[in-house]
Amino acid sequence: MRSDETVTQELTGIQSTDIEAALDPVEADGVYRDSRQCAALALFTGAGKLLLSPPTPRPKKG
Amino acid sequence: MEQSGTSTLLQGAVQDLASGVVSALRGGDHTRSVLPAGTDGEAGDLALAAVRVLGSDALLPALLLRTPPDPAEVAVFRKAVEAYPPRADAAPTVRWSHWGMARTLRRVDPSVTAGPPDEPGTGWLDEAGWQTLTHQLAVLAPLALPGEDCAVSRLAGCHPVDVARGFVRAVRRRDWRQAAGAGRWLTLLPAVPDTVGLASGLDFVELMGGQDPLVALHVQAARLMRSGARV
Amino acid sequence: MTAPDDTGDIRQVAEDALAWVDTRRAGFALGEDALAVDGEVDSSWKPLGELAQVCATVAHHTASFDPLHARARALLDFAWQETDGGELLRRLQRLEPFATYPLEVYAALASAGFRHPAFEEAAAVVARTRGWRLTEQDPTRRLGVLRAEERCGIHRPGQAPHMLTRTWLGGLSEPWTFERDAGYALTHVVFHLTDWGRDADGLPPDLVTYLADWLPPWLDTCLEAGMWDLSGELLAVAAIVARRTGDPVPRDAWRTIRAARRPSGEVPLQDRDPAPADPVDAEVPDDGRYFLHHYHSTLMAAFAAVLTSARPAGPPAGTGARHRHGGQGAPA
Repeated sequence: MRSDETVTQELTGIQSTDIEAALDPVEADGVYRDSRQCAALALFTGAGKLLLSPPTPRPKKG
Repeated sequence: MEQSGTSTLLQGAVQDLASGVVSALRGGDHTRSVLPAGTDGEAGDLALAAVRVLGSDALLPALLLRTPPDPAEVAVFRKAVEAYPPRADAAPTVRWSHWGMARTLRRVDPSVTAGPPDEPGTGWLDEAGWQTLTHQLAVLAPLALPGEDCAVSRLAGCHPVDVARGFVRAVRRRDWRQAAGAGRWLTLLPAVPDTVGLASGLDFVELMGGQDPLVALHVQAARLMRSGARV
Repeated sequence: MTAPDDTGDIRQVAEDALAWVDTRRAGFALGEDALAVDGEVDSSWKPLGELAQVCATVAHHTASFDPLHARARALLDFAWQETDGGELLRRLQRLEPFATYPLEVYAALASAGFRHPAFEEAAAVVARTRGWRLTEQDPTRRLGVLRAEERCGIHRPGQAPHMLTRTWLGGLSEPWTFERDAGYALTHVVFHLTDWGRDADGLPPDLVTYLADWLPPWLDTCLEAGMWDLSGELLAVAAIVARRTGDPVPRDAWRTIRAARRPSGEVPLQDRDPAPADPVDAEVPDDGRYFLHHYHSTLMAAFAAVLTSARPAGPPAGTGARHRHGGQGAPA
């Protein structure tokens, strides 16, 4: 191990592995949240959902 | 992924350093030193490690704004290059990052007389899908500099649609760092489909992820490069 | 050009999916309240119309001696019988003359060869009104109604291109603005423009290029998010686009869909959906809920699998629309 690296480690605890980990990061997990639609304000919405298009049932949370 | 205490400390130092670079890029203020003047003592060691992690981008204002950097900054940069050479078994991104720093050092420090270091090679990307390719290129975004040729930039130049797809994927996954890095590459690549909407895409990435200085850095670099900055 | 050889595993998805559908005919049956004023059209007419639409495409793309063809035709016969040979649709049209869904369901059945002249005559009368033509619907849905009108002999030349430019896809939206709703809108625009995959040439060249460029990241992220239903629709679009570009089959995506299936071949809407009923589990969903969480994605998987495995060998139609970026080498 190089002497200046040793000094760095002793003083800060920063190691080559920390630096190399920062320079070779794994990909972050994807975060998904799609925009929702709120019915138009002051407009009564009864039926009239899409046909032959996105399915109507929505899954339960969790 | 859980981070060690030192790793968190280092990330914070990198972010601080990146913030300074962003300020310099935004304000065109190249008179103010971005890098720490001295690197003695504990704080200095941390700063030196941060310079190594930020890589060539630590001197980005000097590169993109075409102004000679402060000799004290160059000295710090040089110290970081010399203090943290890649180990023999280091990952390709670590080796390329160091290679990029060495290239930049040769550009800004006339006293460096050694020849250019050998390029590490791009074999690890030969079989990579467009997703992995984009992620790795985004990690190596400091190599995305106008007019600077290397094996990585040539590889990227052969994959404009792949990198554009990776940009779209990164935005959809809300991985703003990857999106910013990919967007920076896209500003340099030929034959990127116009429909990608890069200008508004960069604005969007900055809006959503710009509080992270590393995101802001790549977005600002991309803007400067789009406006014709040359190294 | 990648010939559609070795797509047997993908075709199996369609076979298994329609086999499951066949065992769930009761879920598609109209029931007593098909014409009731408070009937739930989204759980009665909508599934039946979707069954007809998908089976019409499957029948169109398979040879008459193919067991898959026979199953699709049998399911179409079932669907037509559910409408009492179109008579229930005619009665529904009299009850709700300005509703578009009877016409859309009828058009799906008509595309498989079933006709009811009295329904078509009544639809034509209503369609002549300004009120019908100006029915306020989003542009994607409107394109679907225009396609349904065409199927019934009601022609409005020039309307579809105008409507297309107002859709998310037709306006060539920035691909990174893709979300779930944009995804469902764009897949349906493609289905309407190509008559549910029968006519890939219905896609304008700029849309072929746009879709070929951006389908991979959309598909990748929908699969990662476990959105199996939308992924199936995107795979169907990919198969349609590939007829023009010759792009290879996205096999990794198909592997993921195959792995997401339930043991009986049905595909959940998304990966959070409840597992099949288990008699020892008191928390299991009831049968109707299970059907609603699986039928659409299962139909879409069958639809996409048939479009993929039935791709013609040989050079794509409209060669030249693509491959300006060809040979980049990064696998999909």
